[in-house]
Amino acid sequence: MNSAMKRNIFAILFIISLGWQSCTSDFLDVPLQGKSTAETDPDLAQNLVIGVYNSLMTGEAFGAEGDIHGIAFVSATNIMSDDAEKGSTPSDQQGTVGVLDDFSLTPTNLFVQSLWAGHYNGIAKVNNALVIIEKSTLDDATKKKLIAEIRFIRGYYYFNLVRWFGGVPKILRVPNDANDANSDPVFQTRASVDEIYQVIIDDMSFGINNLPLRNIAGSGRISKGTAQAMLSKVYLYRKDYQKAYDLSLEVINSGQYDLLPNYETIWRQAGDNSREAIFEIQTGQFNNSDYGINTYSMFQGPRVGGKGGWTDLGWGFCTPSQSLVNAYEAGDVRKNATIIFIDNSGKYTGTRLFDGFRIPSSDSVQNLRYNYKAYHSENKNVESFLGNRDRKQKNVHLLRFAEALLINAEAANELAKPDLAIQNLNRVRTRANLAGRATASKEKIREYIWHERHVELAMEHDRFFDLVRTGQAATVMKNNQRNYMVGKHEFLPIPALQIALSGGKLTQNTGY
Amino acid sequence: MVLMMAVNIAFGQDPTKGRVIDGKSKEGIPGVSIRIKNTSVGTTSDYNGNFQLSQKTPLTIIISSVGYQTKEVSLTASSSNIELTESTQDLDQVVVVGYGTQRKVDVTGSTASVKGEELVKQVVMTPTQAIQGKVAGVQIISSGRPGSSPDVRIRGVGTALAGTATLFVVDGVLTDDITNINTADITNVDILKDASSTAIYGSRGANGVVIITTKRGASSKLTVNYNGTMGIRQAANLVKMANATEYANYVSAASGQLERAGDISTDWYGTILRTGIVQQHALSISGGSEKIKNFLSLGYLNEDGIVINNNFKRFTARLNNDYIVNKVLKFGLTNAFSNSLDRNVNLGTAYNNAYRAAPLIESKVNGLYGNTSLYQNVGNPILDIENSNDLSTINRLQSSLNVDLTILDNLSFRSSIGGDLIYNNNRVYNAKFLNDNSTFIQAGGNQRNPNSNLKTAQTTSFRWVWDNILTYQTNIKDHSFKIMVGSTAEHYAMNYFTAFRQNVPAAENLWYIGTGNANTSTNDGFGDEWARNSYIGRLNYNFKDTYLFTSTLRADGSSRFPTQNRWGYFPSFGAAWVISNESFMKDLTVIESLKLKASWGRVGNDRIASDSYITTVDPNLAYAFGGGTATPGSAITQLKDKNIKWETTEELDFGLEFSLLKGKLQGEIGYYDKKSKDLLINVKVPSVVGDKDGVILTNAASIQNTGLEIAMTYRNRLSNDLSYKIGGNVTLNQNKVIGLNGGQPILDGGIGAAQQFTTKTDNNQPVGSFYVLQVLGVFQNDGEVSAYQNSKGQVIQPSASAGDFRYQDINDDGKIDDNDRVFVGSYQPKAYFGLNLGLTYKAFDLSVDAYGNVGNVIYNGKKAFRQGLLDNIEASMAYSRWSRGSGINNEPAANAGNLPASTYFVESGDFIRINNITLSYAIPTKILDKIKANNTRVFVSAQNIFTFQKYTGFTPELTGDPTRAGIELNAYPTMKSISVGLNIGF
Repeated sequence: MNSAMKRNIFAILFIISLGWQSCTSDFLDVPLQGKSTAETDPDLAQNLVIGVYNSLMTGEAFGAEGDIHGIAFVSATNIMSDDAEKGSTPSDQQGTVGVLDDFSLTPTNLFVQSLWAGHYNGIAKVNNALVIIEKSTLDDATKKKLIAEIRFIRGYYYFNLVRWFGGVPKILRVPNDANDANSDPVFQTRASVDEIYQVIIDDMSFGINNLPLRNIAGSGRISKGTAQAMLSKVYLYRKDYQKAYDLSLEVINSGQYDLLPNYETIWRQAGDNSREAIFEIQTGQFNNSDYGINTYSMFQGPRVGGKGGWTDLGWGFCTPSQSLVNAYEAGDVRKNATIIFIDNSGKYTGTRLFDGFRIPSSDSVQNLRYNYKAYHSENKNVESFLGNRDRKQKNVHLLRFAEALLINAEAANELAKPDLAIQNLNRVRTRANLAGRATASKEKIREYIWHERHVELAMEHDRFFDLVRTGQAATVMKNNQRNYMVGKHEFLPIPALQIALSGGKLTQNTGY
Repeated sequence: MVLMMAVNIAFGQDPTKGRVIDGKSKEGIPGVSIRIKNTSVGTTSDYNGNFQLSQKTPLTIIISSVGYQTKEVSLTASSSNIELTESTQDLDQVVVVGYGTQRKVDVTGSTASVKGEELVKQVVMTPTQAIQGKVAGVQIISSGRPGSSPDVRIRGVGTALAGTATLFVVDGVLTDDITNINTADITNVDILKDASSTAIYGSRGANGVVIITTKRGASSKLTVNYNGTMGIRQAANLVKMANATEYANYVSAASGQLERAGDISTDWYGTILRTGIVQQHALSISGGSEKIKNFLSLGYLNEDGIVINNNFKRFTARLNNDYIVNKVLKFGLTNAFSNSLDRNVNLGTAYNNAYRAAPLIESKVNGLYGNTSLYQNVGNPILDIENSNDLSTINRLQSSLNVDLTILDNLSFRSSIGGDLIYNNNRVYNAKFLNDNSTFIQAGGNQRNPNSNLKTAQTTSFRWVWDNILTYQTNIKDHSFKIMVGSTAEHYAMNYFTAFRQNVPAAENLWYIGTGNANTSTNDGFGDEWARNSYIGRLNYNFKDTYLFTSTLRADGSSRFPTQNRWGYFPSFGAAWVISNESFMKDLTVIESLKLKASWGRVGNDRIASDSYITTVDPNLAYAFGGGTATPGSAITQLKDKNIKWETTEELDFGLEFSLLKGKLQGEIGYYDKKSKDLLINVKVPSVVGDKDGVILTNAASIQNTGLEIAMTYRNRLSNDLSYKIGGNVTLNQNKVIGLNGGQPILDGGIGAAQQFTTKTDNNQPVGSFYVLQVLGVFQNDGEVSAYQNSKGQVIQPSASAGDFRYQDINDDGKIDDNDRVFVGSYQPKAYFGLNLGLTYKAFDLSVDAYGNVGNVIYNGKKAFRQGLLDNIEASMAYSRWSRGSGINNEPAANAGNLPASTYFVESGDFIRINNITLSYAIPTKILDKIKANNTRVFVSAQNIFTFQKYTGFTPELTGDPTRAGIELNAYPTMKSISVGLNIGF
């Protein structure tokens, strides 16, 4: 081979090597590794519905993802009400939680921002899922049922938002991109309170019309009963007593629900998804670990203090107040089922909890009272526990049969059916080991029912909303030495960050 | 300085052999480039300066080497020794540019070069560390952590969120990580600073390019070289914390309750810091025949961190071979294997806890730990470190094979295929311990780990790159052209897998997943893959060595961008005028050379995640219907910009290079104007749109860096025995955001619970500027609190008391909130500089280097993190705090921390550091001859031995993300070290 031939061969090789690269244009079409997309998941519709249920567990009060039922929720419900105080040490989380407790909060409060972000992230999950379900190949009946379940959850999220913030942006679709999100006024301006309530009523009514009476017993799935009971509560807020009455009566007469004989069992694992449960956040295990709401139980667990020397159960927030203790009538079994009392007798007997755990006396404990309804045993023989203290398997009871009875009682009383009202009220009182109320004036019965709601549903995230709804907030908060200002503190401030991001189009609530 | 250089040629037979020696010392010069004129055929000299060429005489060769005058020599059979007496100019160096080399005199952009032998004088793990302070425009910010490489910032911060890592090119293989390279193996490090130089690397050139060339064998007898150093190191600067008495007094004053100090006074930093020992050894064997040339090297490095348990060990092996088949065909093989053992410590927790832990608590006595968490809810930092064992084992093989074809004398082709295979095996074992008397002196508290656990993680990545380059050069009379065209393809794939179990036994030989409780096992995994395909071209034109022109173009295609934005084009142009070569300058003998240059280039930054434009579904969002095991679900939680593209930087560069007084004074002045646009930033969107993290990554910001660089070196020889060198460089840089294009400012740098953000990256401000409340002073009495009112008579800080800070109410709204924050500067220095002194007396050589910067500020994050009454304080705070009647106006009364972000935490970042002092002694040849050794040197070297800083924390040199780099929170302290070393050759 002469050198010219060699060179030709080299030239050809060179051209081939260049050509190989240019001819393989799909060389750059590298599929995304390790992350599925809407196109690559065949069961996307059902999976997204589960993802919406999962959003009920959102509890990232310190993170961008936000909070739905985590510690910001606990703070802006129980701690903000007269049921509980901030707890823990005086300075601990003063800037986030403490300001909610004493009503010195400002629009930059992190937990308020978290609640806003958490709820809207949840709503976006519903909106995303709705698009995918519509496009899916599922049969119409399945589609409707799935849509009904998640629309109920969207309605519930708006119900929380409207109670905390008043009118809020009404988001029923997914934005296309950042530009869409930053330009369409829907994403920047507040709808009226009435418009938001209409969304809630529409979503929940869709649930009532498309869900089975009880959706797989004991599963915690949203059912017709859940939607009826929650919507009856919504109508109490709208003062539409007839609808509240009708819906709650359907729940009571459905034969699906009843009171548990023993009040304290409701907050034991044995009481999870009992016949009293109507809307309950589910917990369990996943990935070989506990799977509950992030730090819900830990946040409220008894905390070491003073001389210490024991392994505490939590951070000691959300401590039941003296006024809650005083609210119970003598002999009410609900007091000791709701409150862990720390031994402060000077005899150092400590406090023995239902699972046998002994909390030392007040010299080694930070606070004098803790929330028993948030307690979950770490004794594996008593309740499920895989060792993850932050994600304890503590179901959260958002709506149960006793409240349906009280909703029905309140509506009945307003509709001038005092006997029905007293009958429902006394069902609740009897279980609490209290004598029944005798019939009385409409005003007196109303007072009875509101009082019963207070003690029956104490520490169940309802009290603050109820005080505002019933107009008792000003008096009650004043009696509790809180800085509550009428005309301002009915609502939380709209987060300052959100106002800034809307270019100032989102308006602030009065007084902030 | 006048250097003599001699070329001794031995002839008579085929092939041509020769030896290059230093004209003064008569010692061989290794690594000299020998090239046959007008061809790309050539070789390099071995350790003793010997070389051989397969071509027969007569030949005209061009000899060039860093630090020596390039020389053209005509070799004839009758030639013997050719004495050269030329003065040295740095301009005549050969420098490596992308995909080829150039004489420095031909370069029209801004580059800098550092020789390998400079690198081995210092005990540094990565070569970039040794460049600190030596090159204008290049900021090397070192972290003292063993096994880490420093941040390299070239001409300011030009990105906000995409990667800031400089691109490294190691023997043609592109990488972001050079911690596997044995410094002793390096011949040359070349730094491409401006966009016209880095444009040949297209979408990856935006953060500068550092090209590393490793040593190769020469055709000569075998030579053996050993290079070893051993040294000790400590923290360069410590923060003195309060002792027990100072602490107790402060806490008593802050709480109003008496806190008494007992006999114990723990210096927590003292308990977790130590003096570390560092050693490195490198052995190389080089040599070969005219057909085969070999370079083999073995290296060992063992670095103790200055934090207990922290250690890095590395074993390296390199085999670089060249096979010369004939005049036409040549193969080159490069193989580098490294095995690293990186014993990491969780500095974030331990360091922070060492700052906060009360000195009243015992550290560790008879194997039992002091219970800090019982006292103050802060973990014992020694226990933090000792109960966790984090070891990464990294095996890495970096290889390349190239084929060189000399098709014609002036036409050559090179095909090079390189691979980089990395296995990283990480395991973290956390031992079981309880808060009882078997672990702690006093039981209780919340520091405990009730179940031991083991996490293992394996990352495997493989990257290959294939370059095909055709080079043609020709001369038409005085016009010289060099044309390069080529293509490159690159592919990267990565696979990550991790597993976790609890209840793994404590014995280290049982730290495998299988020994743990299977009921607790979890695992996870993900991967990444991308590809790039590019076409490159370069034209060099030279007219009489006086008018120079360079142009490059790269077309880059990347799989990481959506189809419509997949291809980008990156051109550059550069021109230079060597004024000193003009005839009218010939009489100006004071000016030896003078070169004016101007260039423009466009480069990109494509370092973003592969899924940045693809909407993905988050899996495993489960729900436990009815309790028990949860059912997995999923959700779409992120809004993506489907139109994302790379960041683009355009840079205009002017430079003047000069050499005066017969080369005694050499220098370069440069100016640059660098605009980076389409920078990726996270645009915040309202929460109502339902984006999980509330931000969308998109191309929105623009940043400008303008600067001036001046570098000068003066060399002089006072006698045959005594010469000296004084070098200095200074860089003035101004960084500012010039557009956010509808994006919101980036708030970042949150510290602890009380300071949600401390920096704001906004229009007309440097990236990562501190944005905090302005402290006006301290309220001296309660009257001042009520008298502090805005223009409407509202009391601005009604809840303050005497001894609290008075903050400025910027917007006069009668309250202090985030709207009162002001910009108070950035961590980016206005100027940084280096000073290099060299003194040679007979066989002694002394070099002293200093480095520093001015005009930046640092945020004292440790102080800012203080979040509880019982957290410890710095000793200075114990004495300088406000008390009634003291009149102190810059330090508040004793307090419980949780202060808002303010100018109180912002401190000057100015510093100057003697970062290197090296004294070496070359053992005389007559002694060496007896042991048949040559090139032997002993030295003692000190790094960072003196630091002058205004900052009261550990170190003002901070690495990190651009939008929050200036916060000292958990930075590994800069270290000072002293070491001794030996180089010996046989």
